[in-house]
Amino acid sequence: MTGIILALLLVPLFSAFLIFSIPNTRKELFRPIGIVFSLITFTQSMYILFSDYSKSDFQILLKFEWIQVYGLEINLGISGMSTLLLLLSSLLVLLSLLSIGKEHSESKGFIGSILTLHFAINGVFISGDLISLFIFFEALLIPMYFLMGIWGGDNRRYATIKFILYTVFGSIFIFIGTVYTAVISYGVNARLAVDFETLSTLQISASQSKTLFLLFTFGFLIKVPIFPLHTWLPDAHVEAPTAGSILLAGILLKVGAYGILRVSIPFFTEGFLEYKNLVAVLSVIGIIYGAVVAIAQIDIKKLIAYSSISHMGYVMLGISAGEFLSIEGAIIQMINHGITAGALFMLVGFIYERRHTRNISSFGGVKITMPRYAAIFLFTSFASIGLPGLNGFVGEFMILMGSYNSYKVLTSIAAFGVVLAAIYMLWAYQRVFTGPLSNEENKNLQDLNLRETVSIFPLVLLMLFIGIFPSYIESFVIQEAGNLSETISLFRSTK
Amino acid sequence: MTGISDILGFNFVVIGPTLTLLATALILLFVTITISTPTFVKKYVTLFGILSTVFAVFLKFGLFLSDGVSSYFSEKILLDEFALVGNVLIVLVLLFTFNSFWKTSSQIDNKTTEALILILMSASGFLLMVDSENFIMLFIGLEIGSISLYALAGLNRGDQLSNEASLKYFLLGSLASCILIYGIALVYVSLSISGVYETSIAISFIGPENVPLTSLIGLILIIVGLLFKVAAAPFQAWAPDVYQGSPTGYVGYMASVAKVSSFIVLARLSAVSLNFIIDKFDLFFTAVIILSVLLGALFATNQLDLKRLIAYSGVIQSGFILSGISFGVYGISASIFYLATYIIQLIGVFTIFSIISGQLSSNFAISNLSGLFKENKFLTITFSIFMLGIAGLPLTSGFVSKFILITNLWSYEKYILVTVLMLSTVAGFYFYLKPIWVAAIEKTDNTIEQIKIQNSDKLLISTLAFLTIYLGLLPNTLVNITRWMVENYL
Repeated sequence: MTGIILALLLVPLFSAFLIFSIPNTRKELFRPIGIVFSLITFTQSMYILFSDYSKSDFQILLKFEWIQVYGLEINLGISGMSTLLLLLSSLLVLLSLLSIGKEHSESKGFIGSILTLHFAINGVFISGDLISLFIFFEALLIPMYFLMGIWGGDNRRYATIKFILYTVFGSIFIFIGTVYTAVISYGVNARLAVDFETLSTLQISASQSKTLFLLFTFGFLIKVPIFPLHTWLPDAHVEAPTAGSILLAGILLKVGAYGILRVSIPFFTEGFLEYKNLVAVLSVIGIIYGAVVAIAQIDIKKLIAYSSISHMGYVMLGISAGEFLSIEGAIIQMINHGITAGALFMLVGFIYERRHTRNISSFGGVKITMPRYAAIFLFTSFASIGLPGLNGFVGEFMILMGSYNSYKVLTSIAAFGVVLAAIYMLWAYQRVFTGPLSNEENKNLQDLNLRETVSIFPLVLLMLFIGIFPSYIESFVIQEAGNLSETISLFRSTK
Repeated sequence: MTGISDILGFNFVVIGPTLTLLATALILLFVTITISTPTFVKKYVTLFGILSTVFAVFLKFGLFLSDGVSSYFSEKILLDEFALVGNVLIVLVLLFTFNSFWKTSSQIDNKTTEALILILMSASGFLLMVDSENFIMLFIGLEIGSISLYALAGLNRGDQLSNEASLKYFLLGSLASCILIYGIALVYVSLSISGVYETSIAISFIGPENVPLTSLIGLILIIVGLLFKVAAAPFQAWAPDVYQGSPTGYVGYMASVAKVSSFIVLARLSAVSLNFIIDKFDLFFTAVIILSVLLGALFATNQLDLKRLIAYSGVIQSGFILSGISFGVYGISASIFYLATYIIQLIGVFTIFSIISGQLSSNFAISNLSGLFKENKFLTITFSIFMLGIAGLPLTSGFVSKFILITNLWSYEKYILVTVLMLSTVAGFYFYLKPIWVAAIEKTDNTIEQIKIQNSDKLLISTLAFLTIYLGLLPNTLVNITRWMVENYL
């Protein structure tokens, strides 16, 4: 098992180096090599899924001594939630490599950056202490910087710098939080031990817990993003290339919520109980705000970006309610949003490659020329809206159910987000796909080819699968959500 | 039988590195004025001199292992951990920058020998400075080193900026030397001592609260004199102009050698009379650190010249290093780690600049970098590594050094300092990523001229880049060395 964990880091890194070392004359090799190696990572994640660790709470499997005199260690481990997210990330990397057009697939830097990003993402999900979590969290920025900067849209400079500065600003808080925790831990353990096992037994006072919760959660919330801190997201999505958008929406947004579930809540529960109402209010504002703004968008990609803010609001609402069902729902919603938002961005990318515009008004009647594309888009929209029987429903339903006990009013408001989602998704569908073929350029559109169909198909299948058998995916997070809600209720009763 | 020389502590091994460099300089001088020497002879004499200095440092290590910490030459020269690490760092700087200063010197017509002699002399001066126990010795070393650097900055006589840099460096540097010697005089007047250890003994003897005001002012002035050399704000005004104006091939050497020696001396001062310094000069250091970091970040944000940008970033880095030196023994070891990793990145950056724009050039606008990726991928990647290292991104040594520094500061509950330092890091990402954007990302039609990069340069730059990554991933050895330095003062 330890070998698999290590390979999750080394295989993407090695493949990135391999891609960079191939001469530019063998352009056709880049994509196959990338796909083969991400397939290997995907197989490893599948292996973890069927092992004993995939249903447990976080377990540290690997320890390295990093800086001896400070007693700093690098810990790697795995849990149920990490397994699911690892699986999602390797699937999305694989499919996004498959889905990109010729312009990107023949670029060494593009494929290499995606594989480097894969390395950092895997690192986030398997890191077992605050230091390595922070290292990989920051390391995400470099491949994203190049992906957005080199292959982005016209306004990419502004968007990239905004994205980087926002994230770095947030991670400074995580950094200070890590340092603070390490110093507290030094007082008890006589070394800077910040691995998750030590932290779960570390006694910290109420005021320290509150400060630390604020420090960590602020950093992670920027990455989620939550309502007033979200402004980097639409810009980043619009300017990023398709594969960048898929990975940004599919995985990078989950890193924030993952951090809150992994660090902020279990270790600084007292702080969580103090500030959870604030987070809940902000996330409900985010749900409604994101949905309302999405209705008014004329750019499809921006519309989906704002819908992501709305959907991630549900995740944060579920987390802040702190009930077993709501936390479970939040984790499942994270996975579901990764699947549907990834699929939607991929679909937008397909049509952008054909028309080089994402403006809703320049489409109309596309259903006639691209029937298969329209069907898949409609299906994905339904999943995103949360139609019963598809994956979106499962997470949102569990979150709303679970949160209702804690926040009756807020949950009732949040439920309207589902209606708004139907408005913006279906209205967009109507304007793009139905009606007469008014625009000349839309008359010669090619329907999805085999490669594109193959790359979207697994996601469609997953939407259906999770919608019909939610209990299968639930079984991986029961243990973790249970432990989290137990910790929370324990602290609540002692308060 | 102990002779008089043993009692006085004559031991030429202790000043071996200094003597070797001086001897090399003299041989060069002698050879050049007597016979017409081909340039390659000068090159190999210099290289041989530097390699002998490495050997001399090894001998010093042997002496240290047998005798331990002790002073020589009637308590003028000190051999301790700081001296050893200072020697090693200065010799490493010489080795790492040899390639670029040799090429620069060989391009200056008729002044090749002068340039080499100036460099060797300055290195010998700074070696003497880190070895000195006595303040007067420290002053002599600093002056030998600095005066050579003033001349080095202005060596390219045809260039107006170079002249300006030299003059500015000379005027402000002499002012700083005045302040330093005035401080030494004040300490001597009030306590009748002029040594590092003597000062700490005297302070503990009369009690920290009874130290006369004159000697306090004296100590502050000594520290200010040294802070000037490391370009900490508000004593930073010379740095951008000097960096910008001096021949690019020399700046890497000039910047790093002055920083190394002054910080080593500051660290030793702080280590031997640590509690006193933390008590009395806490506010002073805090003010200097905050000013350095804020001023540096503020000015670096809108620089169009990369050498100026690096100069202001150097001001920020000085603030960081100082934040460790002034707070605690562990802080000192963290600072030395920071210093070592920073000079690696600094030398790397300036080596790349000198390859791109030519050794003798003075200005280096950011737009010089545009199209670099198309022309030379190796330089772009290594340049990005160095810049990200200075910015402090994880997986590079910059992150580790910032982490251990901030951890130390936090354990002293310096929350405001931590906040200011971290905010400057955020700002840093703005201005360190800007050149990377221009070099690697921005699409441009005007490609820069063809860059010819020699294999020796390639080897040097890849070594430095490798060290930056390696110390970010496996910093254990270097941390252990820096910890060993301060073990006696725990």
